[in-house]
Amino acid sequence: MGSDSRIERARRRARGAKAIIVSGTLLIFGVAFVGARAHAPGHAKGKAKALGAPRSFERAVKRSIAHGGQIAPAVQPPPIATSTS
Amino acid sequence: MNVHRFQAMGCEIVVAGAEPATVAAVFEEWEDAFSLFRPESELSRVNRSDALVVAVSPLAARTLAIALDVAAETDGLVDPTLCGRWREVRLAGRVLSRPPDIALDLNGVVKSLAVDAAAALIDDEGFVSAGGDIAVRGPVDVALPHGGAIRVVEGGLATSGTASRGRHLVDPRTGKPSDSPWEQVTASGSSCLAADIAAKVAFLLGADGPAWLDERGIPGRLVALDGEIVESTLWRGAVACT
Repeated sequence: MGSDSRIERARRRARGAKAIIVSGTLLIFGVAFVGARAHAPGHAKGKAKALGAPRSFERAVKRSIAHGGQIAPAVQPPPIATSTS
Repeated sequence: MNVHRFQAMGCEIVVAGAEPATVAAVFEEWEDAFSLFRPESELSRVNRSDALVVAVSPLAARTLAIALDVAAETDGLVDPTLCGRWREVRLAGRVLSRPPDIALDLNGVVKSLAVDAAAALIDDEGFVSAGGDIAVRGPVDVALPHGGAIRVVEGGLATSGTASRGRHLVDPRTGKPSDSPWEQVTASGSSCLAADIAAKVAFLLGADGPAWLDERGIPGRLVALDGEIVESTLWRGAVACT
């Protein structure tokens, strides 16, 4: 029984040591992760946004693609004609 | 106003107010880059390439970007792939990526863009017409299909339809020649490109064409297969005003 108790106590110490090592590792990783996000230039601090022109500019360009011209009644004999080609 | 005529892009070019040789050089540059009838054009070489990613010239990159914008704006009705796969074409600067089995066809925008580019050479007043797709600087009166005329005060005027080449306009929604009820559609745009796109879309949308033009404030005139003429609200208003 004495021998069993020693083994049991050793196992408890080993379990405790493992828990301390795992907790310490997670704590160090967490601190390093948060620190890297906050300070390291290669880590995004916020949600990524697409590069390029603002959406308002894109909308303006697209509107001009299908934008009407100016017409009026003809007043002279036309020098050209529109037609399918 | 001296009017000059010559052939380019398979149609008659009519120019007033600009040096004809300079305008001809512009059309030659565009044709040399995008003609699918020229095996050595840049677009033909891109279409022959098996590479997923290719570098293109600045002119090709700008034109492709516009073609993709047009496809997005028209929900794919004017589609540089002609098969509804324009979303698979990506452009980042001058780097083009697309599945190699997609053949690009920029005929939907190239002629009108060339007209706009040529019209930028006009010093004072004048016009450039390529096969009836027109850009003006200063007011120009233009004869219309099936009679009548209109004054283009600013921008461009273009006509799309089946009158000259039969059912050649492919509807990307079906992949087949369009069975539009219109024989031809004429539209006025802020540029020749805008007019050409509007005319094509209104033609392909069939019965919904006049409403599409009205929603966007585009003057348009649609000639039905039976000869009936339908005018969009803005066209009717512009013609009626004195």
